[in-house]
This record gives sequence, C-alpha cells and structure tokens, in this order.
Amino acid sequence: MNCKRFEQQIWAYLEGQLPSAQAQAFEAHLQACPRCQRQWAAAQATYRALRALPRHRAPENLAVQVRHRMAQPSARPRVDWARVWRRVALAPALGLLTVAVWWGWQAQQPNAPINTAAEDPTESLVELHEQLEVADWSPSPTPSYFISTGYTR
Amino acid sequence: MFRETVSLSGSFVAVDTLSVEAQLVERAKAQDEAAFEQIMSLYADRLYNYILRMVGNATDAEDLVQETFLRAYQGLPNFDGRASLGTWLYRIAANLCIDHQRRRARRVPTVSYSAHDDEDGEATEWDFPDQQTPNPLDAALNRELEAVVEEAIGKLSPKLKTVLLLYDVEELSYEEIARVLGIPIGTVKSRLNHARTQIQKAVAAYLSDAPVPTRAPSAK
Repeated sequence: MNCKRFEQQIWAYLEGQLPSAQAQAFEAHLQACPRCQRQWAAAQATYRALRALPRHRAPENLAVQVRHRMAQPSARPRVDWARVWRRVALAPALGLLTVAVWWGWQAQQPNAPINTAAEDPTESLVELHEQLEVADWSPSPTPSYFISTGYTR
Repeated sequence: MFRETVSLSGSFVAVDTLSVEAQLVERAKAQDEAAFEQIMSLYADRLYNYILRMVGNATDAEDLVQETFLRAYQGLPNFDGRASLGTWLYRIAANLCIDHQRRRARRVPTVSYSAHDDEDGEATEWDFPDQQTPNPLDAALNRELEAVVEEAIGKLSPKLKTVLLLYDVEELSYEEIARVLGIPIGTVKSRLNHARTQIQKAVAAYLSDAPVPTRAPSAK
C-alpha cells in the first residue's frame, strides 16, 4: 500500500468498513509510515471532534413563532394541484403513449400476405410459374408472317 | 436515526417512532394542531442544530427553522409518506439552506476552501497512538479543536457541508442522506470523504502547530 491509497481508505478504516485483508495492509502501512501516522492522528481527531460537537437547542419561543405564522391566512395547508395533476395525468398519458408506439410499430410492418408468400419459396415459385404461363407473349414472327406482310430486307 | 430508546419502568425499550410519526402526520393532516406541535417538538432541536451550522448565524437559523416548519405545515396535504417524516423535514431544511447560501453568495463573496491544498511540509513528529493507552488526542478535543473544526465546517461548500452535517452530526445513514438530497449513495460517500478530508487538513495544521504531548495524559 502507498500513502495515496492509505489516505483514500482512512475514513473507511475508521468506520470499520474495510475488508480484513485491506485493513491489515492499512495497519501495516500505518506502522511503517510516519507521514501517514500524522494523517491518521489528524483523521482520528477530526472524526471524534465531529461527533463530539455540541448540539445546539432550538430557541424556546420557536413553537410560538411558528404558531403565529401558521395562523396567517396565507399559511393554511394547501394542496399542490400541479403535483396532483401530474400524478393523475400520468396514467392516461402513459396509456396513450403505449397505444401510439404500438400503432406506429404496426404501421411499419409489411402486409401479412406478401410477407407470408415471401417466406415460402415453393409458393413463390408456383406463383412465378403461373405468371409466366398467363403472360401476354407476343407471337414470334414466322415465315408466313413475313410473306403476309410483304416484309423484305 | 428515527428510532428512539425510552426508559420505561427502569428498563430500556426500543420504540419504533416511525409508526408514532405516521399517526402524528395523519392527525396533523386532519388539522390537529396539537399533533403538528408534537412534530415540531420532535424535530426542532435537530433541525436547528443542522441549520445553524449550515448558515452560521443564530438569527438566520431561527428564521429558517420556522420557515421549514411552516412549509411542512403547508405541504402536509402533499406528504404521501413514501419518505419518512424526518427525511422529508431535512429535505425541506436542506433546500432552504442551499437557497439561503445562494442568496448570500450573491451578496457577499465567500472564500472557498480548496480540496487540493498543498500538504503541510513541516516534519512534525507525532507519536502514533498506542491503542492500549488513552489517545493523547483525547486531550486535544477541547474548545480549541472544536473551534478549529467549526471554522473548517463553515468554510466548506454547501454541498459538502450538508452531507457532512447530516452524516457526522445528525447521524443519518447514507441512504437517508441520498433521499434527503436526491443524489446517489456513491455521491453521498464521495462528498463525505471530501468534506472530512478538508476538515482533517485544518485539524492537521492545528495539531502541527500545537505543542506535542510528550506523555499521554491520564483519562478523566
């Protein structure tokens, strides 16, 4: 352990929050390092002083003063309607949002029949074959065609 | 924090004050002013102690404690009991203190206490305290050291100070402080370490200037 690590762990050690292996390394460093011994002494003093600070008592007339202020008409308890409205409106707003998201997702999906056909290669081949059969093939020019039309080069 | 021990027929009985507080809150919501006064008597000293160290003077502290209770009274219809009463009151007080510090900062520039002050280079020997004998630093926990600590607390930024006071002085848990301030527990721990380290530096400077005890004084 180095001094930087020691300083990082000093408060955790003081509160007994270090795992035993780390606590042992901490103690070993503490025994060996005079600089960290001074840090440790200051940390201990700080910790104890903070917890031994005197507690200040509220003034005796505090309750009287607060009562006096509570008696003012403007001090009456009031419902925070904005806060209530936020809560009341939250549920339907979430519902609407859910419906909107679902609708948007559905709208982006391709039509089901096309999708099904695309997923079945056999069926799509049959369809292609049928389309080829009914296609409007123009008749190939035959010799009689050329004779009847008087076509010559 | 919110558990109290009361003496009953010579024996100590742990009483869960949470349910008592919940009843007080319900009564206070129903316009029972006696119940609200009981709430005030439960928390007046704790809040005053916290606020006084946050703002640094008694007049402002008294005013802010009054304001805390007044806001609590006005806000009772909105208190839903998800946080404990204590957490809720400390939250109101903390927000008021931070607002107060901001207003004051606009009027009077304050000196910030850097978290990265240079180490004191003086090589003052300090005997490592033997755990078996009374710590000589116990003797140093006197009015002088207390004044050093109070002064160092006064120099902390509001964010660090509030965490330090709530944990080390008011003895709230990390979780409670996180709820009071609305910050993650990790941030609470980090701020607490920074705050303590700054106090520690002031204490170290004081100890290095103070005469080094040659022998451990006897415990009183």
